[in-house]
Amino acid sequence: MTTTLDRSVGSDRKRPPAREGGHARRRARLLPGGLRWILPGFAISVGLIYYSIVYSGYLSFFDWRGGRALMTPVGFGNYMTALGDPVLWTALRNTIIYFVVVFVVQVAGGTLFAAAMHSNVRFANVYKVLVVIPVVVAPATLAPAQIQVWQSDGTVNRVLGALGLSGLEQSWIGQSTTSLLVVVLVGCWGAIGYGFILIYAGMSQIDPELIEAGRLDGAGNLRTLYSIVLPSLRPIIVSLAILNFITALKLFDNPWLITQGGPAHSSEFLGTMIYSETASTDRNLGYASALSILVLVIAVAVSIIMQMRGRERVARSSTTRKEVEDV
Amino acid sequence: MIRTRFLAAAAVAAATIMMFTGCASSSGGNDGADVKPATSGSVTWWGWTPDTPVAEHYIEEFNKQYPKIKVAYKNFENVDYRNTITPALDSGKGPDVFDLSPAGGSPDLWGPYAIDLSSLAKDTLGSSWKDKIGGSYIKQLTSKDGRFVSLPLGGMSAGFLWYNKNILDEAGATVPTDYASWVATCKKVSAIGKTCFAMGAGGSDTFPTDMYHSIANSVDPGYFIKAATGKAKWNDANGVKVLQIIKKMKSDGIIASNALDGPQYPLANAEFMKGDAAMVQMGYWYAQYAGASSCKASMEAAGVSDPTCFVQMPTAFPDVAGSGNESTYFGEADYGLAINSESKNIGAAKTFVSWMTLKKTGQQNVANAIDLLPALKGVQPMWPSIKLVDVGAQRPAIEKLLSDSGKATESRQWQTTEKSLDAIVVATQQVLDPSVNKSIQSIADDQQAASVASTVGTK
Repeated sequence: MTTTLDRSVGSDRKRPPAREGGHARRRARLLPGGLRWILPGFAISVGLIYYSIVYSGYLSFFDWRGGRALMTPVGFGNYMTALGDPVLWTALRNTIIYFVVVFVVQVAGGTLFAAAMHSNVRFANVYKVLVVIPVVVAPATLAPAQIQVWQSDGTVNRVLGALGLSGLEQSWIGQSTTSLLVVVLVGCWGAIGYGFILIYAGMSQIDPELIEAGRLDGAGNLRTLYSIVLPSLRPIIVSLAILNFITALKLFDNPWLITQGGPAHSSEFLGTMIYSETASTDRNLGYASALSILVLVIAVAVSIIMQMRGRERVARSSTTRKEVEDV
Repeated sequence: MIRTRFLAAAAVAAATIMMFTGCASSSGGNDGADVKPATSGSVTWWGWTPDTPVAEHYIEEFNKQYPKIKVAYKNFENVDYRNTITPALDSGKGPDVFDLSPAGGSPDLWGPYAIDLSSLAKDTLGSSWKDKIGGSYIKQLTSKDGRFVSLPLGGMSAGFLWYNKNILDEAGATVPTDYASWVATCKKVSAIGKTCFAMGAGGSDTFPTDMYHSIANSVDPGYFIKAATGKAKWNDANGVKVLQIIKKMKSDGIIASNALDGPQYPLANAEFMKGDAAMVQMGYWYAQYAGASSCKASMEAAGVSDPTCFVQMPTAFPDVAGSGNESTYFGEADYGLAINSESKNIGAAKTFVSWMTLKKTGQQNVANAIDLLPALKGVQPMWPSIKLVDVGAQRPAIEKLLSDSGKATESRQWQTTEKSLDAIVVATQQVLDPSVNKSIQSIADDQQAASVASTVGTK
């Protein structure tokens, strides 16, 4: 501790005056210019986003329908109502299911496609476009087609019928047991392409010599994937997990366009719940704000936990690597 | 230093919040109530209804009498309208005239932005103006503070069916009047490969509440409004019976198996308009599609190319409970026109709104569109000028519907809270969903628990 202090003091003492002056000049020259550059982004993020968050938090303590309607303070009433609402718990359950399934399928599918594309397959660019198309097509454009696929007289049931599996035909969108499945599958379909883009880029960063060394040590394809590729992709997978969780938390477009959260709230998500409260004739803006704040708290908490876990693992693996090198 | 900056930032944030919320508690003004109607100017009108071509027709007719008033109409989807109108009115950039319906307490939500129109109605119709406007429309469009904030353009009614006469004739089936005849009709219709009764009960739309209401009226007239206003329970014997009938209607083939695939619009509407379904439950607004030209437009909108119109007829909802109760209709003001209290064109807006809602010429246009029940008493559609697909069959049926609708004593959704409507939808969906393993009593209990009684119109 003392040594560190001495060193820093010493280094300060050794710093030539001209250099100090240079620092001061640079600060004076760069600071205003830098501020100008960041000002638009700063104003948007702090001025709009954080203002909206603070304002939502404020509104969550009122019973308010918007506009000139009377604002009635309700304390934590909106939060208590939300926590006692079975639809909220259904939405949270659906969010977790959606996150887990879509994340697993995205990482598995993305890795599979990325590995295939790195294997010099023919027409790789065509496959890349095909995999990425679902990422760039707007859900609103695809929703009518998805409804057509999954409704009672839709494509899925027709295919099942043609295969002699009429017993499996059902109202996929119109049943509480299958409506969530439809939303999750549609989510998976769009998510694989996104996972593929990131994982493909991550794989390109892996040193080929590392893989070659593994091959020389007798590692097969699976061993190479498990021991070399996947550990190198860990930061990307952690990022995907965080992004997926946030996407699941604020999911709105696909469930609303395909099932409107129904039947009987079985495919409800937090995003559709919030929208229903703001768009209904009742316009419960205070309650919707409370739900939004709950989403924010969950998103921030889970992101922090995931990042901390990710850093711990990275730190653990670096320590282990250093120990191995020292040995 | 840091603390000071933090406190300063917090103070700025708090001041900004106060600035934004300060307007929330201010009440609407009535500054424009004394402004005299003008014969020139420009008026902007925003609404979710009517469709743009209908509105343009109204404006065209209005301009024949008032050519110096320019009216610009902007149509929104329902939800977009609700989310757009409030910030627009708050920012002072709202329209001069805007749609305002009685649904969901709208007179209290948007009434503060509107001028009180009672003096305009009195000046136009005389001191007995209240007797000249139909239904309970004035009461429905009056805010809790007693201000009459929206002049009704027209009303609507529901609680009956529309059927495709061509399909029933082809199937050799009769129009159902009770449960047994409905089952028999459906068997004949299914035999020719058509859907008997198109219904879209999926999603979060509140259309299924119309069927629930009709069945409830068959079980016990008046029960629905009693339950909606807390004077009866949704899970009592009547409520359970309604849900049992819905379940039976599905198992007996009256309600189609795809009923939960989507909401009434577009699912059931498209099936009926394509000519794939024999019956559908819609309100009076569906009469417009009986027109010789509008039926083609609606069939094309449903995806039929080069359509041939079918004969669309209204009929009473069958007595499904078998208790001998006639299916009573229910209805309310569909929407009215409000004038923005901050409008700079209140004079011209008053002329336009009063012509549309209080003058016979304006209301005649509404009546002739056979989309709404005219709000002004005594105005009837001018049948010779209305072209129907089959005048001989359709005109007497629609005239009777118009007459019966005028006698409706129950409101459709005015006295039912959003929570109760949502609870009815959820209960109906659970009853129709084959994967839900709950007893009818349990579903009705959950419905009761999720409902909130309305106090509207009870005093």
